[in-house]
Amino acid sequence: MATPASRGTIVRWLVVPIVVVPLAWLLFTGLGRDPRNIPSPLVGHPLPVFAAGTLEGTHFVSAELRGRPAVVNVWASWCPPCVDEHPLLLDLAARHIDDLSVVGIVYQDTADGARGFLARYGNGGWPNVVDASGAIAVNLGVTGPPETFFIDADGIVRARHVGPLTRAVIAAELTALGIVP
Amino acid sequence: MIPTLGHLAVVVGLAATLYAAAAFVVGGRSRDPAVLASARRAIYVAFVLVAFACLAMVISLLTHDFSVLYVARNNATTTPPFYSVISLWAALEGSILFWTLLAAGWASLVLYRYRARLPALMPWVGATLALGSAFFFAVMAWPGDPFARVTPIGLEGNGPNALLQNHPFMGLHPPLLYLGYTGMAIPFAFGIAALITRRTDEEWLAVVRRWTLVPWIFLTMGIVAGAWWSYAVLGWGGYWAWDPVENAALLPWLTATAFIHSSMVAERRGTLRTWTHALVIATFVLTLVGTFLTRSGVVASVHSFTSSSIGAWFAVAILLALGAGLALLIWRLPELGDRRPPGAVVSRESAFLFNNVLFLGITFAVLFGTLYPIIVEATSGARASVGAPWFNRVNAPIFVALLFLTGVGPALPWGGASWTTVRERFAVPILAAVATVVAAWALGVRGPAPLGILGLAAFVLVVMGDEVVRGAQARSRSRGEVAPLAIWRLATRNRRRYGGYLAHVGICVMAVAIAVSATLGTDTTATLKPGQRLSIGAYTLTYQRLVTRQLPDDARVTETRAELTLAGPQSGALATALRDYPNSSTAIATPVVRSALGEDLYVTLLGYDSAKGTATLRVFVNPLVSWIWAGGAIVALGAIFAIWPDRRRVAVEAATAVAA
Amino acid sequence: MRRLALPLAVAALLALGALVLLEAIRPAAPPTAADQALQIAAELRCPDCFGLSVAESQTAAAAAIRQQIVDLIAAGRTPAQVRAYFVARYGEWILLLPSSPLAWWLPPAALLVGAGLLAWWLRRGRSAAPPPDQATPSDDLRGRIRDEVEQLDA
Repeated sequence: MATPASRGTIVRWLVVPIVVVPLAWLLFTGLGRDPRNIPSPLVGHPLPVFAAGTLEGTHFVSAELRGRPAVVNVWASWCPPCVDEHPLLLDLAARHIDDLSVVGIVYQDTADGARGFLARYGNGGWPNVVDASGAIAVNLGVTGPPETFFIDADGIVRARHVGPLTRAVIAAELTALGIVP
Repeated sequence: MIPTLGHLAVVVGLAATLYAAAAFVVGGRSRDPAVLASARRAIYVAFVLVAFACLAMVISLLTHDFSVLYVARNNATTTPPFYSVISLWAALEGSILFWTLLAAGWASLVLYRYRARLPALMPWVGATLALGSAFFFAVMAWPGDPFARVTPIGLEGNGPNALLQNHPFMGLHPPLLYLGYTGMAIPFAFGIAALITRRTDEEWLAVVRRWTLVPWIFLTMGIVAGAWWSYAVLGWGGYWAWDPVENAALLPWLTATAFIHSSMVAERRGTLRTWTHALVIATFVLTLVGTFLTRSGVVASVHSFTSSSIGAWFAVAILLALGAGLALLIWRLPELGDRRPPGAVVSRESAFLFNNVLFLGITFAVLFGTLYPIIVEATSGARASVGAPWFNRVNAPIFVALLFLTGVGPALPWGGASWTTVRERFAVPILAAVATVVAAWALGVRGPAPLGILGLAAFVLVVMGDEVVRGAQARSRSRGEVAPLAIWRLATRNRRRYGGYLAHVGICVMAVAIAVSATLGTDTTATLKPGQRLSIGAYTLTYQRLVTRQLPDDARVTETRAELTLAGPQSGALATALRDYPNSSTAIATPVVRSALGEDLYVTLLGYDSAKGTATLRVFVNPLVSWIWAGGAIVALGAIFAIWPDRRRVAVEAATAVAA
Repeated sequence: MRRLALPLAVAALLALGALVLLEAIRPAAPPTAADQALQIAAELRCPDCFGLSVAESQTAAAAAIRQQIVDLIAAGRTPAQVRAYFVARYGEWILLLPSSPLAWWLPPAALLVGAGLLAWWLRRGRSAAPPPDQATPSDDLRGRIRDEVEQLDA
């Protein structure tokens, strides 16, 4: 039987776990997080509509992507990681020429700069939409190049990858789209 | 060789601090002076060892020894010597090394100064400080080894973080901040020692007050210098963005400031012991929280360091310090017993206590806002942000209330105030405030924030001026001194009070400068061809040409300068640049600031087109910004004045030391 | 005259307050499109820098978002719709002002609770204590003596 005095003491001592335990939980869950990796709210929703001229001189409308899975890659000639991931995109486009569309969005760049990039690092032949002002990228919620969207045949965004692509990322996302990588 | 010796020094330093902690505990129980002396010597040895390790790191940086991972990551063969030296604290592992140097330095200083005094407290103070230093040595021995090697050895390093090698201020504000942070371990150690030995008396309070004020001065200067760095380097025209790094420094400053105020009540009334202990513990824990936030990568920030396992170590240290401090406090609660409030509802005491509520309110808001993204993600998985607009809206009213209390406190007598006193002391200051607002309005100042803060500042200044005049009059009447001498004697005979007033003058200056610069500034952005002009306020800028060149002291850096001529106040030539660093994907702005007492002209280059020769400029006219730095300096001066050893007190201390 | 000083001061303060209030409630000119755009930009997070708002930042993404805000307002969208547009693309993360009411209520609530507790303690403590003239002299007297001594310089 606790006397009132000792009950007061117990209550007082409870302050320690009441303060320390939630703080411990917060600090250690906080440790696992990456403040730079922000999930895109577009995942699970249709790709926002866009239309613009391409580097190749044609006019591109995003509705053209309907009917088969697509990869939309945001890049720029001034972006060093874009150089790193470019061979992987070339390889991807070459191997899936029949079951996948690839579209580039040239982010805040000049047409000359982008053509120079393709001449130097290889042109995979896919259309590259020129987004000089960055408006199309903002419409897609882009933070900065490189960024890549994986879209299914119904035009729904299935995944968004921030930063340079890797083989593992490509394999996983293609599998999720129902394509054998 | 040298890095190996540096690493060895760290390992031996860890052993020395652990020995010191154990010896202090043993010596504290047995009261054996020989054991205590050996414990003190072990701390001095640890300080020498970490100083040697810092020297080893500086030599490795200056000689570009890329076999050391830290050097390879933060230095290049072309890095100028000045930036090589300050790279000691510009990245994660080095900053912990530097931090340990300061922590061990403070510990040595305190243990040396009090080697013959406070015999009951000092062993426990020493044990706490030794454990604190041991923690940092352990971090360097395991997860954050600054002397970790790398193979194969590269011929060229990555170079310092571009943002951190762009301005010499980087050599100034981190050491000041770190001196403040590490120094807050001293009041914590005294707090723990007092709780263990049950000696929370007047003597304890006087020592802790003094040793809170010393690091507080460094923390204040570090915060202001950091704001200045942000203003001079980041190129967005502002000085405070409520970035987690800034908040990390502000949090312990807030609780330490609360302590400085409530300790005056505690000293005078012999009460509030639980509260002052809680503030001392909170201040130290918040310095650790700040370190955790900026060194674990859990929040995005201007210069948070890359994530590493160091975060987990700091999390454990935070929980241990907080848990131990709280447990001790609760254990001693029945003996601290301050049940009765120290003064009437309207009294100087209660003004100080409401001041503490406001400081703690801001502390809570800033901590909550800084942790908010983590809290939201931990509870719901969603991503959320809290930014400067939120911090400004939530905190601005509390800061205004604090400024008001700055005036109310000194006007109210200790104990309690009668209606007559209130009437006598407040009438003139309120009239002065109204007159100031009306005058400012007539001079063209508009907007509630600058007008309101001007009025409040006038209120506070007149209250304090009234106090000074009253005291000086009494002196010159009783002693026949002339007014200036009377004021000087008055101030030097009661340094704490008048030093505090001087600090409050600095706060008023800062408050007005912040309110005016935040609301009355103008800015414009324009893309200019050579020969084109841009006008803002009284200034006209003419864009001349774009010049691209290699920096003379670091050839890896390309600078593109827009050269301008300025007509209007401070006319002449000026240039603002963007610098391309090989290890930074974005160009670093180098804004040019023309400061004057009234306003700053702040020009930054947003972008350029080399082919057309055009430059996109953003130009700000920021009123009164220089007064923010000046106000900060006045605050620091006031605090230095307050703790300046005065001859009589030194004599008394010497006498008591001899007597003991 | 001395007796009238404080009432006069308070009257002046009240008059000033009334003027400010009148000034504040006078219908202001409707904000221009540029003002609206700046206001929105100041409350959106710059996606490719740390902590700064879109209005303050100089990065590529911030410039693109600023332009998009201007375009959306020119197209007749309300500020709320513009914000919703960005939330749909970047998530709640882009709002520098959190939308959760908790984030707005908790800090002021904590402050009010603290101030209330202190006021309650001060009042209760005084009434529970013996009247001042019978109280132990040590507390109040010690402080007052110290005050006098300080004024007179020991």
